[in-house]
Amino acid sequence: MPGQAQDWLTRIRELPLAAPLRIMNVCGGHERSISMAGLRTLLPPEIRLIPGPGCPVCVCPEEDIHQAIDWAMHQDVIVASFGDMLRVPANVARGEVRSLAEARAAGASVHAIASPQDALRIARENPQRKLVFHAVGFETTMAPIAAMIVEGLPPNLLLLNSGRLTWPAVAMLLESPDAGEEAGLDALIAPGHVATVMGPAEWDFVPTRHGIPTAIAGFTAESLLAAIHSVLEQSRTGQAALENCYGAAVRAGGNPLARRLLDTAFSVVDAPWRGIGTIARSGYALKDEFAAHDARLHLPATAGGRKAGEMPAGCDCARVVLGRISPTGCRLYGSACRPASPVGPCMVSDEGACRIWWASGVRAPSAG
Amino acid sequence: MCLAVPMQIIDIDGVDARCRARGVERLVSLFMLQHEAPQVGDWVLVHVGYALQRVDAEEARATWEVFDQLNAGEHPLA
Repeated sequence: MPGQAQDWLTRIRELPLAAPLRIMNVCGGHERSISMAGLRTLLPPEIRLIPGPGCPVCVCPEEDIHQAIDWAMHQDVIVASFGDMLRVPANVARGEVRSLAEARAAGASVHAIASPQDALRIARENPQRKLVFHAVGFETTMAPIAAMIVEGLPPNLLLLNSGRLTWPAVAMLLESPDAGEEAGLDALIAPGHVATVMGPAEWDFVPTRHGIPTAIAGFTAESLLAAIHSVLEQSRTGQAALENCYGAAVRAGGNPLARRLLDTAFSVVDAPWRGIGTIARSGYALKDEFAAHDARLHLPATAGGRKAGEMPAGCDCARVVLGRISPTGCRLYGSACRPASPVGPCMVSDEGACRIWWASGVRAPSAG
Repeated sequence: MCLAVPMQIIDIDGVDARCRARGVERLVSLFMLQHEAPQVGDWVLVHVGYALQRVDAEEARATWEVFDQLNAGEHPLA
């Protein structure tokens, strides 16, 4: 561990902790850095680091996944999405195609892409066919997709849009905790690359309206420990405020051009999160002037009648995403659900808490 | 999926740039950084093929140290 990170760890250990503190992060990248650096074992036991809603793939509505699979199987289209999305299973009867990867194995045209530029290239190389880009991501990813849209799309490129905003999920946790359950966090580590694009100000509501200590962190152990120290100090002094511990990339106002592109391409609407329900003003919807590229308007809705929003049977991904339980608290973690044969999306995505914990060597008590 | 990696600009052609990090080269769109007029030699945070923000060389170095530890054997640009 670099010297500056060690210094932060020493300062954290020297802080008098009045009570246990639950610090939530809402970014798969943060959870990966925390898990791989083993920060949980290095911090005092009173500090609990909780992975929260930080995985856009994990909350992509099941009905959107069904839709993408149905189009891939039954329409003369090419479907492209980020690699993680191809392996996310939907609930289907035994023997039916349950993921885009299975659709590809069954002969459908399905491409894993790493960039919106790949979707553009595939569309241009196949002008006779429609290319459906299943767009999934938080603000950081939706801004490049907005750039692609505003720069100009080929006529055969259509979007199935499942983009989401991060802060409304935290607002939902803080403002309307489920009956009988509290919000589940005493402090927040705000996401560094979302704030790089959107600016720090959209996280102000957490300390000002809810009195919850908040710090924006980058992805090094040093930056994460600085943020943890910040929220501990805020908690100790009773002075909740938003501190930016990722000044190298997060500036006031974020990236103003990226925000303008998001505003140009998308409206912000109420949107469903898989297994969780609808969260107010949490979804990006393509604006009317880009209706010519809205896949839902140009392809038949063949997924009608499916039960919407469910996680797979027995899967606790929804409670993992909300930080209600840790990955090892899921009944399937490490037994029925492993990266090679995932049941729920949290074990599929590189951003999913279950996948990250498994990759960093955490095993369920029963699985040894 | 929200993770962005620092890469150094080695050539610029309009809004497209060739960027390099740890020996890997990528074509990166500077479309979202046009207002900052990035130059050859600058480090930028790259996510899904687009530069999100400029960072200094020291931040790039520190971030790559983390990636090198996290991805022993698995290049984040692979």
